[in-house]
Order: sequence, then structure tokens, then C-alpha cells
Amino acid sequence: MDSIINFIEILSVIAIPLLVIFIVTYGTIKKVKIYEVFVEGAKEGFNVGVRIIPYLVAMLVAIGIFRASGAMDILTIILSPLTNLIGMPAETLPMAIMRPLSGSGALGVMTEIIKTHGADSLIGRMVSVMMGSGETTFYVLAVYFGSVGITRTRHAVPAGIIADIAGILMSIWLVNLLFK
Amino acid sequence: MLNYIWLALILVGILTAIGWDLYDIKSDKYRNGAEIKSDVIYDNSNFLVEKNKRYNFSIKVSKSEFERIYGVKISKDLIQKATLIFIDNKSAYIEIYLDSTSPHIWFEQSRAQKVDGSTLQGKLYFQEAMGTFSDVKLVLNSVKFVKLNSVTNEGIVKYARIAVEISIGLIGIMSLWLGLMKIAESSGLIKIIAKSLKPITVKLFPDVPDDHPAIGAMVMNISANILGLANAATPLGLKAMEELNKLNKKLGTATDAMCTFLVINTSNVQLIPATVIAIRAASGSVNPTEILGPVIVATSVSTIIGIIAVKLLSKLKVFRKQLEGN
Repeated sequence: MDSIINFIEILSVIAIPLLVIFIVTYGTIKKVKIYEVFVEGAKEGFNVGVRIIPYLVAMLVAIGIFRASGAMDILTIILSPLTNLIGMPAETLPMAIMRPLSGSGALGVMTEIIKTHGADSLIGRMVSVMMGSGETTFYVLAVYFGSVGITRTRHAVPAGIIADIAGILMSIWLVNLLFK
Repeated sequence: MLNYIWLALILVGILTAIGWDLYDIKSDKYRNGAEIKSDVIYDNSNFLVEKNKRYNFSIKVSKSEFERIYGVKISKDLIQKATLIFIDNKSAYIEIYLDSTSPHIWFEQSRAQKVDGSTLQGKLYFQEAMGTFSDVKLVLNSVKFVKLNSVTNEGIVKYARIAVEISIGLIGIMSLWLGLMKIAESSGLIKIIAKSLKPITVKLFPDVPDDHPAIGAMVMNISANILGLANAATPLGLKAMEELNKLNKKLGTATDAMCTFLVINTSNVQLIPATVIAIRAASGSVNPTEILGPVIVATSVSTIIGIIAVKLLSKLKVFRKQLEGN
């Protein structure tokens, strides 16, 4: 296991420099005017960044309001009877709610829970797995669709939420199975 | 659907904030106007009181007094650094500097008083003019609508700024990858990458020609995601979206391929969650990497379920119609 982790860690360190040198060298071999072409392509970068702004403002402000209001405490109380049915400790609910909304928020929740319950407790392991296997769905949605001006998202949102729920249920089931 | 989620976040957020605040007012959670008995600790008590001059000192509130006032338990007496400015011989403005020993409720009060949340303001009343610094009365500036203030300052204003900071921050790395991708495109490298995974990509994105630059960018984005290279993954993903949009017949509406690609991205395909492992290690976990197995299984299952869901949902009439009608 450790050697696999080491291998992936090394790979992720050298991947970008290697890719850069490979693209540039391959371009030169194929007689591409690399500098000119690079600049030509890079011009678009500014427009993409600016195009995302309205989508990201809309999404992050809504998430910000939700986070600052203390609504999560109430949601946790309301949903806790349901979570007991699937072997999910109520303490991990804030993580499940926060994970798709905000990366920094979820990290805060995880750190807080690990501080109170310990990293090697069942709850600590469960939030770790949720954090590691989840993704900030709504942020990705706003950035990716925003960059090409998509406002009618069709089935991307329901499918994304189904995937999130599957990931969370799987995290709970696996941690209960392996560590309980 | 996004419309409803957006509305729900805003509505639930603001209504909850109003509810909390009304409850706090009714239960007087912050004890507005309460006189807290405290002691002033000053190393040289023989000084002349001058008006409009700042004095640095510490203020002490005993454990029992704090618990009597607020009705919440704390572990020991509070001693906090503060400055004071005398109004007259018997009263002064006080500014308390909060630190890691300060009670949680004071931080909340502080945030409601000021935006930065590091100091707490109020007034001090002395029993007799000057000299005696024990048994003074501390009255903190009253606060109301703590949650609504927090929604405005930490929700709306702060996040609007963060959104712009993120977008602007993306420009540099975005330009870099768009430039490199242009080279890779001109040299034919993208086509080679695209064709390398043809058996898989044809199934996932049947509407996209198998040597289209979008496929190459998507393969590179997913590879970067697997390795956890966030700096490369987002620009490559946005490049892929741009290419997919060139195949879009109805601008502003997501195509099937876009939805599939998005779900692969939102379901997280990263193999090693480095941040999680680092936090676990820093929190004294005996085996910080023991979560790796479950993480990889959970994330794979969520990606597979996501792809199945996106494929099944795309067949629904509601979503088909959005693609065709105008």
C-alpha cells in the first residue's frame, strides 16, 4: 500500500513539469512556433476568468448566506432521526451537508470534529472518508458551466447530487464495516 | 433545478437568521446591558488619570461571575488584555482584545459589534473615583441581530469578494494552460491523447467525435483530477468545456456530454486526498492513511453511480425537451 502511495505522490509532483516539457518539445519537433502559439492561446485566459465572476458570485453568496445563518444547526436537528436509521452518527451530518457546498467550510467541519472526537474515532474516520471522497459540487458546477455561459443545467444537478449521496452513503457503510 | 436550490439556500439562510435573532432577543442571550463585576489589573496603579489617553491593562472576570451572568460554563477565570480611555473620573471606554482563551459567546458578540471579530467594546464604571481598580463594573455595548449581521458581513459581502478573488486568481494559471493546450493542439498531441482512450470515451461521450480536441482536454482533466493536481485540473476542465461548447447547438443550455463531464468532475476521482491525510496526521492519528482504501472505493462508487444517473436522466423527456425546443 505504502509503495503505491509513494508512487502516486511522486507522480503528482513530477506530472506538471514533465507535461510542460513534453508539450513544448513535441511542439518543436512538429515545427509549431511554440512561443507565438502559446501566447495566442493564453490570451483567452483573462476572458475565462472574467466570465466566471457572475456565476461564482451568485453561487458563493447563496452558500455564504446559508453558512452564516446557522441554518445547518437546525438542519442537523431535523435530519438526525433519519440518519440513525442508516448507521450515520448525527455528528457527521454537518459534513454531509457542507461537503458539496463549500470546500473551506467542509474542511472546517472536519477539523472541528476531529478535534473533539479524535482522528481515530469512528466519527473522525467517517468525516475523513467523506471529505476525501466528496467534492465541492456546486462550486464546480458554477465555475465549469459559468465559463461557457450555461444557465440551463438540465440533468447535471440531479445527477451530481445523486453521486454525492452515493459517495456519502458508501463512506458511512464502509467505515462502519471496516472500523466498527 | 438549480433555481430551486439557489432559492432554498438564500431563503432558508435568511429566515433561519431572523428566527435565531428573534429567539436570542427573547432569551436575552447576550445579556445586553448587564453589569459584569470585574477587576482591573494594572502593574502601576499610581498613575494620573488623563482624559483621552489610552491605557493598556488587563481585565479579570471571575469564573463564577461569568457563569452567573451568561449561564454558560467556562473552565477558569478570564484574564484579557484591554485598553481603556477615561471619559471622566468614574467611567471609561474599554476595548477588550479577544484571544484563544476568550469564551465563544464573546466572539459572537464581537462579530456583531464589529466586522473583524477580534475586539469587544464596552464601558467600565468605577466604584469610586480613581485609585481603586477592583470591583469595577463592565458593561459591554449591546448587540442585536447577531445572525443577520453575520449573514450580511460574513455571508453576502465576504463571499461576493471571495468569488471575484477566485475568478481573478484563476486568470494566470488559466492563461498558462490555455497556451500549452494550444501548442498541444497545433502539434496534434491532443488528438493522440484523445484517441488513446477511445473505447471508453466513445461510450461516455457518444455525441463527441472521437478525435475532437474536447476529448483530449477531458482525458487530461480527468487524469489531473486522479492525481489531485487541482491547479491543472480546473484550467484543463474549462478548456474542455469550451471545446464541448463548440459542439453545442443551443448556447446557454448544457449538452449531454457537458452534463456527463461535469458529473465526473463533481463526483471527485482523486486517488489520494492529501489535505485530509495531512490534517489526520497533525491531529495525532496513529495511522493517517488508513482511510485511503474506503476513500478510493467510495469515490469510485460515487463516480460510477453518477455516470449511470446522468445517462439514465438524459433519457427523460423533461431534459430531452430542453435540448430540442427553443
